[in-house]
Amino acid sequence: MYSIRVSPPGPHRFAFFAGPKPSLCGERVSARRSAMPSPIQNPRFLLYHRCLPLHFPPNPFPFPPNPRRLLHRSTAALSPQPAPAPQTLTSAVPPSSEILSIRESLLSRRKTAAEIAAEYLDRLRRTEQQLRSFLHVSETAMREAEEVDGLVESGAELGPLTGVLVAVKDNICTADMPSTGGSRILGSYRPAFDATAVKRLREAGAIIVGKTNLDEFGMGSTTESSGFQVTTNPWDVSRVPGGSSGGSAAAVSARQCVVSLGSDTGGSVRQPASFCGVVGMKPTYGRVSRFGLMAYASSLDVIGCFGSSVVDAAILLSAISGHDRLDATSSKHEVSDYASQLVSLDHLESKPLKGLRVGVIRETIGEGVDLGVMSSVQAAASHLEQLGSIVTEVSLPSFSLGLPAYYILASSEASSNLSRYDGVRYGYQATADELSSLYGDSRANGLGPEVKLRILMGTYALSAGYYDAYYKRAQQVRTLVRKSFKDALDKNDILISPAAPSAAYKIGEKTNDPLAMYAGDIMTVNVNLAGLPALVVPCGFVEGGPAGLPVGLQMIGAAFHEGKLLRVGHIFEQTLQNHRFIPPLLAET
Amino acid sequence: MLFSVAAGSGAIALCRLVLWGSPLRSWPNCAAHRSRSRLSSSTVHRCSAALQPPDVPRLADTARISLSSQEVKEFEPKISQVIDWFGQLQAVNLESIEPSLRADTEVSASPREDFPETFENREAIISAVPSYSDPYIKVPKVLNKE
Repeated sequence: MYSIRVSPPGPHRFAFFAGPKPSLCGERVSARRSAMPSPIQNPRFLLYHRCLPLHFPPNPFPFPPNPRRLLHRSTAALSPQPAPAPQTLTSAVPPSSEILSIRESLLSRRKTAAEIAAEYLDRLRRTEQQLRSFLHVSETAMREAEEVDGLVESGAELGPLTGVLVAVKDNICTADMPSTGGSRILGSYRPAFDATAVKRLREAGAIIVGKTNLDEFGMGSTTESSGFQVTTNPWDVSRVPGGSSGGSAAAVSARQCVVSLGSDTGGSVRQPASFCGVVGMKPTYGRVSRFGLMAYASSLDVIGCFGSSVVDAAILLSAISGHDRLDATSSKHEVSDYASQLVSLDHLESKPLKGLRVGVIRETIGEGVDLGVMSSVQAAASHLEQLGSIVTEVSLPSFSLGLPAYYILASSEASSNLSRYDGVRYGYQATADELSSLYGDSRANGLGPEVKLRILMGTYALSAGYYDAYYKRAQQVRTLVRKSFKDALDKNDILISPAAPSAAYKIGEKTNDPLAMYAGDIMTVNVNLAGLPALVVPCGFVEGGPAGLPVGLQMIGAAFHEGKLLRVGHIFEQTLQNHRFIPPLLAET
Repeated sequence: MLFSVAAGSGAIALCRLVLWGSPLRSWPNCAAHRSRSRLSSSTVHRCSAALQPPDVPRLADTARISLSSQEVKEFEPKISQVIDWFGQLQAVNLESIEPSLRADTEVSASPREDFPETFENREAIISAVPSYSDPYIKVPKVLNKE
């Protein structure tokens, strides 16, 4: 066995997404995403309908492609790598597992759990004023760490997350801490039970360090819709961390905790993972129990994981996955020990991904995507190829329809799920002298504007006479999306795309235009419609902020193939050269 | 309340959505008639004649949210904009496509045994109730709509 040396990405063999395409459609195709898509229409939808016959031949792309033919198609501009961000180091060490290192420290008595917890809590407090990732910090974390030390002393068997500080998104119920869902309507709510995922964390020995900030009830992509505070991005505190699991992503990125739980309904784990430069795992629908997750859209919601390395995300995923009798949609599909399948760098062959068929989703690498993001994903594809994979382009028809279909389904389901917040059995109650005012005023005062908007839109879409026009059609689009993913995953082991069309943008940039914000979800929503698993791994940088802004690569797999995604993601991460994903905020503290 | 959903975090109750109260308006389903002729169109039409624009105060009443007039003014353009955007689904030919209730990723269809179980932490649930007078959860009187 010899350790792998991967030379920096060579001449680009994937010219199909090098820079702006020549305008074959008789119209200017703008190279840089300057303005957001027109509010009336997602212009990418227009583009594909008008240009389809010219750009994409009716016959499926031949596998494997003739590289020479690819080069001819778009010699227009092989966009050079953007100017290297200050984070580029030629001797960057790949991330190692924090969880395993904590375990090793405890078992070897090199450190105590109390020392480790103190380190994290200290860093948490020092950075929290700038970041605001937490809505609640546990008051018992140190005590729990001391209990762990007692356990270690006694020689008892240690669970896989013993002594590991885990943050939990505040829409996941924790019995001993407030759970607000990011909403003032639950401002003082304390659940009577733990979510199953939280219960499993505790059983594995984890220390729940606190509850993280989110867009209210999961509706949003920046945490600006939180009822309480806006979380900032550790890479540039004038920018958003992404959302809705922005707090969980920022907390891991800034090492305020080791790993964290989030939830993903339309990209709410994957997009913040990309914006914050951390690993984000969205499991298959049904992989992790939703019991205790405040429902937003029941057919789309999943609980997901954040970590600073793929191994950590894998360990966390194994701990929380599995069937739960309290969740009728949870799957009995067996749970693997995902981390045990991740080999160390020293044991990798020279082409560890030999034979892996990777499909780049064509609809995610054109108009509307930041050049820097495309460039990073292009480099990632080259890297995968050098590791032995066969990388080709794949088209997902009806891809662009997924976005409006998603918002119809999500708003409709949300309008139904949020009807329980009526001020009667829990949460904020307005003073009223008759019942419908009690409902109306409690909800008016307790719910934020974005949530109200989506409830109203959902109410409209589900009203008698509209159901066929909107909800039913959205479900039909869902069938199309599922089918096109299935076809693509029959011919490919994994599909890749960016996790978002841009890197993190400025706080306040999109708050007034809902469609501009929704457009940013185009890369992620289809995966939720199909219920598939997806992993986001940091793959590069774009310019911006004091040290560049991270970009994540999204990898999508077939249902319950989290193991495959994690294996590929791990190898990718461990062999990625020239990048370290440690935010400047950390260097300062 | 217009919608009723089976409670419980686990159950997918979409198929049990029950619509109460009078429908907002009824009209012919124009999607079937018009969609065929719009297959190749690159611009999006809605069935604008048949689907009325959102009546925000009426929606708010249906959803039991007391919106201020300021909020109605702010929300109206945003909601219309988004619903217009939803309309692009009208242009697609979806004939003979089965609607998907959910992702259907091998979710096991067998429900658990239908035995009631006592939840131990009743005090915590009761203490969360804003107006409680043992054993009643208190609410104000119900007035008939004039």
